[in-house]
Amino acid sequence: MIELRGVELSVGGRQLLERIDASVAAGEFVAVLGRNGAGKTTLLRAIAGLHRTASGTILIDGRRSDSLHALERAQRIAFVTGDEVFLEALQVRDVVAIGRFAHHRWWQWHAAREDDTAIARALEAVRLEGLAERLFSTLSAGERQRVWIALGLAQETPILLLDEPTSHLDVAVAHEILSLLRGLARNGKSIVCALHDVNEAAEYADRVALLGDGRLLSISAPGALRDGRLLQETYGIAFTRRSALLPLLEHPHV
Amino acid sequence: MKGAALVLLPLLAAALSLLVGATQLEPGAVAFTLLHPGAPGTLHTIVWQLRLPRVCIAATVGASLALCGALLQGMLRNPLVDPYLTGVSAAAAAAIAISIVAGVSAAASPAIGFVAGLAAALLVAALARRGDGIDSNRLILAGVSLSTLFAAIVTLAVVRAQSTEYASIVVAWLAGSMAGRGWPDLAAAAPYVVAGTLLALSTAAPLNALRIGELRARSIGLNVARAQWVMLAASSLLAASSVVLAGLVGFIGLIVPHLARRIVGSDARVLLPACASIGAALCMCADTICRRIVAPAELPIGVLLAFIGVPTFLYLYLRPATQHGSL
Repeated sequence: MIELRGVELSVGGRQLLERIDASVAAGEFVAVLGRNGAGKTTLLRAIAGLHRTASGTILIDGRRSDSLHALERAQRIAFVTGDEVFLEALQVRDVVAIGRFAHHRWWQWHAAREDDTAIARALEAVRLEGLAERLFSTLSAGERQRVWIALGLAQETPILLLDEPTSHLDVAVAHEILSLLRGLARNGKSIVCALHDVNEAAEYADRVALLGDGRLLSISAPGALRDGRLLQETYGIAFTRRSALLPLLEHPHV
Repeated sequence: MKGAALVLLPLLAAALSLLVGATQLEPGAVAFTLLHPGAPGTLHTIVWQLRLPRVCIAATVGASLALCGALLQGMLRNPLVDPYLTGVSAAAAAAIAISIVAGVSAAASPAIGFVAGLAAALLVAALARRGDGIDSNRLILAGVSLSTLFAAIVTLAVVRAQSTEYASIVVAWLAGSMAGRGWPDLAAAAPYVVAGTLLALSTAAPLNALRIGELRARSIGLNVARAQWVMLAASSLLAASSVVLAGLVGFIGLIVPHLARRIVGSDARVLLPACASIGAALCMCADTICRRIVAPAELPIGVLLAFIGVPTFLYLYLRPATQHGSL
């Protein structure tokens, strides 16, 4: 359970988001939408404890996020980002194994049986078992994204935050990943995911949060997106509904 | 198999180093002398007072430099970093050069070098500090800048030396050598080497975590700032100790981590002990060759390592990456 109470975020002294009040329950998939620079990444980083809030409180399972020890926080929240790093010599399994860091003390040098189980489960969830021995550097963009998600899953946290996990991915892989996230939410994880594609958010998320104008404009079920004014306020451009498809779709398609 | 080889390698190098020198010794006689440390005689003096301390110092210097190199390369995520990057060694070298030229007692020089090295580490850390942690680019820039300054101080000390004898001592010392070092030198450096080694080994898991980038490392629970400070402290202790013991011994800290990665992969839990083992063995072998190749004179170890090291490094770095690859 994530709760944000009056959270304000600044970057380089400039206020980015003001007074955000919201909560994400266990088993819920919330998509965060907004223009570039609206504060999606910063909001996720703040929830993950990687960015200090200017004011307000973030509660994780009822405890103030900033009172949690780094290891304790990493056992509750996994943060998945697709930022590129140079990992020429690491195999996929080794990368995913790094996600078990918070479950070890510094003097524990050898992986425990629980680590092997968690790593295998994470690889299986993203369907990377067959690539476990492959070098990370030889993977495609979609496969790399799945490795980062597997690393987050190997942390075995109840909360999973993802920063644009479908960027640079083709439609098929993007939908595969979003299906996986929805499945994880159905199994009890809280998922908060920054996305760029409005239709992906509407199709897969339980609720959609819209950031714009330096605040949280709305956090509601995807059906609310049918009102084009919300999206117009978020992105500053007009949206039209694909009316021909509407009768066939439960979610809005814009 | 690889583990056993990494244990045997320094032992074989140590045995070779004990047997080979200006005087060739019989293995049986050396073994007997080692097992009877109280026995009198020339052989006892050669083994216990000349070769064994030198073998131990070479092993210590090699292991320290290789560990230090692996630590800094991992921390800064840069495969071209060597132990001398932080300016610690250059400061120690400058202080020792000044003390030699100023005619300070040879016994006091190592202590002066050690203090200067650690002072430089604190200065570099202060310059590279950003927030709670260390900025990698600032650390490299501060280290390179201070190294240049200290190198200029060494040059000035040599140029202004009152006698050519002092100047040649400084030059010989800068080229790296274990000649004339003994048990007291090793005993003085031992606490710092042990502390540096333990600190280095304690950072194996953080080093692995840092490989996925600082942000992700923080998100999986690593206190990046604390890990950086521990790594910098460990590398400073190891670099300063090796300079005090043997002067500027190049290339081990740069090449051995690359070599070790080719053999055992890049998991820091295996890589760090492997670096210590290979570094110790390489330094002992190099010192043995230096003692033998132009006997009774000695070749500076830095010169020999440069001749072996440069082609080896170029071969390792330029050939296509294998499964374990480079950094």
